[in-house]
Amino acid sequence: MSGRFINIARWISRSRANGPGERFVLWVQGCGLACEGCWNPDTWSFAPRQLLTPDQLLREVDRAGGIEGITLSGGEPFTQAEALVPFVESVRSRGLSVLVFTGFERAELRSRVASRLLALTDVLVAGRYDHTQVAKGLRLLGSQNQRIHFLSGRYGPEDLDDVARCEAHIAPDGVVTWTGFPGEFVNE
Amino acid sequence: MSAYITVATPMIDRDLLLQALADVGFGEGRIVVSDEPLPLVGYEGSQRAQVANVIVRRQYLSAASNDLGFISTPTGYRLIVSDYDRPRFGATWLVQVSERYRAREAERDARLRAEELERERERKRQLVEAQRSAIEAKAKRLGYSVTVERNQEKVRLVLVRRTY
Repeated sequence: MSGRFINIARWISRSRANGPGERFVLWVQGCGLACEGCWNPDTWSFAPRQLLTPDQLLREVDRAGGIEGITLSGGEPFTQAEALVPFVESVRSRGLSVLVFTGFERAELRSRVASRLLALTDVLVAGRYDHTQVAKGLRLLGSQNQRIHFLSGRYGPEDLDDVARCEAHIAPDGVVTWTGFPGEFVNE
Repeated sequence: MSAYITVATPMIDRDLLLQALADVGFGEGRIVVSDEPLPLVGYEGSQRAQVANVIVRRQYLSAASNDLGFISTPTGYRLIVSDYDRPRFGATWLVQVSERYRAREAERDARLRAEELERERERKRQLVEAQRSAIEAKAKRLGYSVTVERNQEKVRLVLVRRTY
């Protein structure tokens, strides 16, 4: 496997709010789209944050155990497609599924390396986040203009029925980390 | 009449000193403890000029012994022992008492650290529970079904709301 580094913002070992079943969720670091109202502006900078090789990251996935798949978010996964492809290939070789959140439209993902990552993706959630079209209650969507593409036969729309809207992870020190789409909940 | 001598010690905590003395054979019942220093008593039964806060009465030392005492000072307890008793209850004996004092001090410090850690853990447990309770209540008010999962000290709340 390639030893090229992936620039990472953070990950959580298990989530049920980022795609079907229990998923390892990886937020990559770096995004040039700068969508207004983005939930993760701390992931925009391309400066190195945590640099891990695909092998190192794979060990974290293996450690999670008993998961359905992985979810790539960010940041913008497709700006690191070159480094992510060998990681995702290894993930798939373990029988795990792959869901990717991207701010690009699917039609914008035409490069050779983007196509390679797409070929390894089961579900693609695509499109800029538009804060004027917030998607309330739509599974996996931040705004209504975004689209969910089922790229392999592995999942269909019905598989999203049980996806949690959001999750709160409470650490032993009492710090609460939200994932998924908690906006409606947090901003009540 | 045997003269008394005074020896400085680094022992400053009365409870630890009493525990150390108990460890070397002078437990409760053989010790007199007083906030106000009391006169020591010599082998012939008369009060001496020396006073102490912690006193081992002479009958527990030997038939011809004088009282042995520890007087509290701002820099630590001082051993007051007669010349007669010094061969048995002098420097060597004081080393034994000091070693037991340090051992008891280490036990106490470890116990205090453990108690402090447990208080801190309990404080965090209460904080986590307060967070969980607040999130769960709000989620239910908003119509979410909530699953609470615990993994050791971590808590995950999965919030699902069906829209069909």
